[in-house]
Amino acid sequence: MAYFEIHNKFVVSFGRLEWSIISVSVILTMIGIALIYSATASLGVHDKTFVVKQIAWFSLGIVMLTALLIVDYRIFEKYSFWIYLGIIVALIVVWSIGRVTAGSRRWIDLGLMRFQPSEFAKVAVVLALSRLLGEKFGSAPIELSDLIKPFGIIILPVALVLVQPDLGTAIVIFLIGVSVVLFAGPSKRVVAWLFAAGISVMVWTYFFSGKLLLDYQKKRIATFLNPDYDPLGSGYHIIQSQIAIGSGGLTGQGFLQGAQNQLMFLPVKHTDFIFTILAEEFGFIGCLIVLGLFAAYLFRGLSIAHKARDGFGSLATFGCISIIFWHVTINVGMVMGLLPVVGVPLNFLSYGGSSLLASFTITALVANVSMRRFNYYS
Amino acid sequence: MSEYIRSYDKTHNSRLQILIASAIVIMTFSILISKLWRLQLIEGEYFSEMSYSNRTRLLRLAPPRGSITDCNGKILAQNQPNFSLSVFPGELREPEKLIEIAPSILGISPERMRIMLLNASNSPKYKMFQLKRNLSIEEVSLLKSNLGDTKGVVIEAKPYRQYPYRESLCHVLGTLGEISSEELMKSERFVYKPGDLVGKTGIEKDYESYLKGEEGWNQIEIDAKGRQIGTTNKILPQKGADIMLTLDIDLQKYVEQVFVERAGSVVALDPETGRVLALVSKPDFDLNLFSPSISERNWKNLNSDPLHPLENRAIRGLYAPGSTFKMVTAMAGLSYGVIRPETTFDCAGELEVSNQTYRCWKQRGHGKVSLHKALVESCDVYFYELGLSLGADRIAKYASLFGFGTASGIELSNELPGLVPNSAWKQRRYGSPIKDGDSVTMSIGQGYLLSTPIQMAAMMAAVANNGKVMKPYLIHKIVSADGRALFENQPVQKWDTSFDYKHIQLLQKALKDVVEDKSGTGRKSFIPGLRVHAKTGTSQVITEKDRITEMDQVPYHERTHAMFVAYVNDRPKKIALSVIVEHGGGGGAVAAPIARKILCKYYDIPESPQ
Repeated sequence: MAYFEIHNKFVVSFGRLEWSIISVSVILTMIGIALIYSATASLGVHDKTFVVKQIAWFSLGIVMLTALLIVDYRIFEKYSFWIYLGIIVALIVVWSIGRVTAGSRRWIDLGLMRFQPSEFAKVAVVLALSRLLGEKFGSAPIELSDLIKPFGIIILPVALVLVQPDLGTAIVIFLIGVSVVLFAGPSKRVVAWLFAAGISVMVWTYFFSGKLLLDYQKKRIATFLNPDYDPLGSGYHIIQSQIAIGSGGLTGQGFLQGAQNQLMFLPVKHTDFIFTILAEEFGFIGCLIVLGLFAAYLFRGLSIAHKARDGFGSLATFGCISIIFWHVTINVGMVMGLLPVVGVPLNFLSYGGSSLLASFTITALVANVSMRRFNYYS
Repeated sequence: MSEYIRSYDKTHNSRLQILIASAIVIMTFSILISKLWRLQLIEGEYFSEMSYSNRTRLLRLAPPRGSITDCNGKILAQNQPNFSLSVFPGELREPEKLIEIAPSILGISPERMRIMLLNASNSPKYKMFQLKRNLSIEEVSLLKSNLGDTKGVVIEAKPYRQYPYRESLCHVLGTLGEISSEELMKSERFVYKPGDLVGKTGIEKDYESYLKGEEGWNQIEIDAKGRQIGTTNKILPQKGADIMLTLDIDLQKYVEQVFVERAGSVVALDPETGRVLALVSKPDFDLNLFSPSISERNWKNLNSDPLHPLENRAIRGLYAPGSTFKMVTAMAGLSYGVIRPETTFDCAGELEVSNQTYRCWKQRGHGKVSLHKALVESCDVYFYELGLSLGADRIAKYASLFGFGTASGIELSNELPGLVPNSAWKQRRYGSPIKDGDSVTMSIGQGYLLSTPIQMAAMMAAVANNGKVMKPYLIHKIVSADGRALFENQPVQKWDTSFDYKHIQLLQKALKDVVEDKSGTGRKSFIPGLRVHAKTGTSQVITEKDRITEMDQVPYHERTHAMFVAYVNDRPKKIALSVIVEHGGGGGAVAAPIARKILCKYYDIPESPQ
């Protein structure tokens, strides 16, 4: 009995190791490292600090991935509220440090790295929501009264991230939360309510913010929420980023040869604007390959969410997939000028330890659910 | 177990959601890809044309760094423009023109120019490559008129740091250097960019955030020839704040001039407020060597110099305080009632404690010695006896009261605290209890005791100030570019030693007689018409050698340190100072004359030979 259990837990599970998701993650990260090299080579830093650090985090990510695959994912269900609580505490710490230093801060300095809890907050929200909604998943539709707790779970980190201030992450957390709720199978009434609420919020923002606020006030709020991206307030970065993408053409200008990349500086090109480097140096074909990899990741994830053995696994997988989806959509949409500029990283590709580790956590969770979908316990 | 069976519910109805989600993914990616298609394939030509011909650039305008001045506003560190000639290798179309014209203006050979341009063409295409810096105004105007329109050639004005007083106050002011990648990663985004100069040591480092200023942005348009067409948007940089120091550079410079010995330190404080009047560490170095960046050879020389000129001895030099410490032992003895002012000991030139002989500097001995005489003539045996009765812990307590063993609190970040040994420390460090021998050596400021020159000056300031210990400070005020005072220093009393006033008076009288009494050890600092209080010290570097050896026969590194501490407190302008001459010999002979010169200058007394 015990033998079979262990056999089931490890041997059989690892026999079904979720190679597709993992290998896509690894390939994307490697492409990211090449792009970071190109982006930072032009910064004039004669050492390779950024690349070396990213490689170090990549290695750490692989170790973490392996560790997270060994345990059954139900452990995340069991501890989901504690994980959530820990992240909330970390967000409060960041907020209070930011208050002390009288500036916007998104990270906790751990010496070796800057831990940016908002990246992990996204995963924590998904876990907590999946635990809350997982029990009812499949057996009965979600009613309005079931949404009180999930609403609290979503709104608390959104508020804490908003005061950092980090509008982009707040929006993403909110969208992820809504995605999970919609996936959990809401009743028609709930769908109608959510739809109506969404429309009214949009209308309200569109009309009232336009009427109540003067232009300079709007600008002031925008620079307050997002001081980094547009120091001149004239869409400079988006124009530059469009030129960079456009000049890539079909095949790109070649590795390290992007004129826009090497010449001017988009201050965050190795983090949030990494896609422009890809587009300029590897062209339309390069972008198609990367977007194709992301699409493969998303569809494989959706299939795993469909086949998962229990409600929690299904919801958690879908939530994780929705994180990647919203990041890719908002980030790529932003650099092409389709969406406003907000601080959202491109998973696996953007420079940054917290973002990369959070991405590998997502991969680990999805792969874990996939590997253990045939494990029944009797 | 059954709960798992229940939870394994393959019928969970997610088919619809999965279908909708898949549709959304396909739709979104289609939108992204079609936009990408439009940008890269339909408008691609237009954008790459834009990328090459008519592009705007966002230039970061570095903020001018604030100045550092002395208390009279004399500039100690400021920014000066420095012109340099650079090229963009990717944009340089007529290198021959450059090779033809530039060498004669710059005074270099055309071959050299050709080699430099060859190096440039091998470096990244779109990165500025510097050919020559420190151009004179004539060179700049000639280059501008002859090569100003040449595409890919840039004449750049960059601020660099200039220090008009060169090596004066070098350890306090500190140096600038290019920001390291580690500092870059640690700083907030956009505050710095690679190549920026940041403070590396001294005030330049510790007050970086005030001095730095705020960067501006300039969005410029550039035409096909790489020339600037116009500025579309501009935010001006803001100059950093100016820092005014408490000290007078004229006095500081004078002190540096009269300190002709190889290595050592002088610290002068205003005892009433704690204001720093002079802070000298020798040997020193020319700060301008570091600006805009130090050459490898100079850096190597400074680093390999056995005298460590980069080290700020005033706050980091650790010396046994020697006989200057006797006033601490004396105050401990009086306060604990171990001795009374009239208590005498018999000095026979040496004292035996636990089978070890401790000698007095005067081999013949002082005979019958009172406290007053012991301080004036610096009798060692008197303090051996006193130290034995007190024990190390009680001496240590009074040493701490005078400020030994903790950093003085001056605004420089890397100050060392020194060391005051007590029984707990000895147990921790050596695993053995403190012995009588330790108390004996400690009583005359030797043994494990370590102090910095600023601590010795602060001790003197406390005595001059009747026992009130003030925190030494160097920054007078910080004024922003628009004239607002961001910070203004006020004197801070660290604590009051609450010594018995009679005891302090007794000590002060003895210190006066160190200078004025015929047998005083500090005779060489006597200035007619000025009441100087002082104490000499001679701090041993290695265990006692045969005394008969003449000074110049002892190797430099085995010679004793000469120390002299003094104060004047009966004038409106007060001063307390410490002079340490490393391996200088005797305090009374070597350090006292330096102190005398400083005091003469400070009180405007013509210096006459004694």
